[in-house]
Amino acid sequence: MRQNKTRLVNLVAALLILVWASLSGAQTSQTLLPVPALSGRVVDLTASLTAQQQAEIEQKLREFEESKGSQIAVLIVPATAPESIEQFALRVAEQWKLGRKKIDDGAILVIAKNERALRIEVGYGLEGVLNDATAKRIIEERIVPRFKQDDFQGGISSGIDAMLGVINGEPLPAPAARDVEGDSTWSSLAFLAFIGVLIGGIMRGLFGRARGALATGTLLGVVVWLIVGLISSALVAAMVGFVVALLGGRMGGGHLGGMGSGRSDTWGGHGGFRGGGGDFGGGGASGKW
Amino acid sequence: MRTFLRLVLFSLVVSLSGCGYNTLQSSDEQSKASWSEVVNQYQRRADLVPNLVNTVKGYAAHEQRVLTQVTQARAQVGAVNLTPEALNDPAALAKFQAAQSQLSSALSRLLVVSENYPQLKADAGFRDLQAQLEGTENRITVARNRYIKAVQDYNVTVRSFPTNLTAMAFGFQVKPNFTVDNEKAVSTAPAVDFDKAPDAAK
Repeated sequence: MRQNKTRLVNLVAALLILVWASLSGAQTSQTLLPVPALSGRVVDLTASLTAQQQAEIEQKLREFEESKGSQIAVLIVPATAPESIEQFALRVAEQWKLGRKKIDDGAILVIAKNERALRIEVGYGLEGVLNDATAKRIIEERIVPRFKQDDFQGGISSGIDAMLGVINGEPLPAPAARDVEGDSTWSSLAFLAFIGVLIGGIMRGLFGRARGALATGTLLGVVVWLIVGLISSALVAAMVGFVVALLGGRMGGGHLGGMGSGRSDTWGGHGGFRGGGGDFGGGGASGKW
Repeated sequence: MRTFLRLVLFSLVVSLSGCGYNTLQSSDEQSKASWSEVVNQYQRRADLVPNLVNTVKGYAAHEQRVLTQVTQARAQVGAVNLTPEALNDPAALAKFQAAQSQLSSALSRLLVVSENYPQLKADAGFRDLQAQLEGTENRITVARNRYIKAVQDYNVTVRSFPTNLTAMAFGFQVKPNFTVDNEKAVSTAPAVDFDKAPDAAK
């Protein structure tokens, strides 16, 4: 028993090291401005928009995503120094990953208020319709004149309207059926069960049925807790792991595996806005006012 | 039981680190793909040049010198072709880079000159071309940065132990990378002179 315990401790320690290593690898150089969190379709760090104006634009963008599939966002920051707005906008785009995977139909309107600079960053999939010249025209003709009169809401709104209008003309694949919250929960559970069967098999071989199930449950709980950071999710994961590992051998194993194809990347999402995995290559246009 | 656990651990370690052959393959392939993107974007810029030259000619025909320079640089760029296979040659890469940066400077001179022609600047076609050129330059920067990163990944794999043994065995070589074109220009601060009128021929 004691021996088993130390092994378990070793395993958990090894896992912790793995997680730590993967996290520390993600750090980039620190002098650059950090990319703001994608808290919604409109991220305003300068309080230029009132809550109501922000909600209006968000609503417009949400409806557009539901009907067309493209993800568009607006980011207002005070400044982008030491980088140029192009470099900063690309970093934001690479991190937010707006647009659907493989369709790459995302776009971001980035505004650096104090530097009086703005940029429309366009995903690969929209470069054809929202090309550089069009993006430049939208900036010069729709946004800049209003920004010059300090009408931020009007400029953004008009620019977004123009962008949406242009994108509407592009035949894109229809948006997928909306992910219902319960849907992703179920697929996460199925994925957990799948992992539970895998690990449970090994653990049963090592420690026997009851202890193996206990070990599986603990392991899954700890891992989920580390990833999601919620005790409740961890407890659920631990329960699932325990039950699946306990029953796994008796059910002949394996046939639960087919359920594991669900999307595992929806864990911990609270129905918030997140990028779909679109790629950007520096397309778009910049302007000043 | 103990031996079983050791076996599991051992196979895990082997599958995680391995001999690096697959890593070499994938990073090599990644760098080639990134290179194709670089060439693609440079090609896009070269394709814009004839249109741009013709538009400028319409308003500023007597700027012969600048226009000829751009056309010549464009021709030079078309002559230097670099396939991913030829990338291992530092001299070829340097030649490619020299040709491209010559076109870059010729184009920027052209744009400076065009500032003197208000009618040209107001031309819708010219403005679109200018936007496309700016966008393409930005894409080139992005593609180059991604290539630099891809080559860096590849070179680190080729050089570090134990993958360097695999690289040696299979003939993977360190690839040359892009250098900063205008290192000198970047490191010297620009001189600001308010007395003279702005010099358009710069």
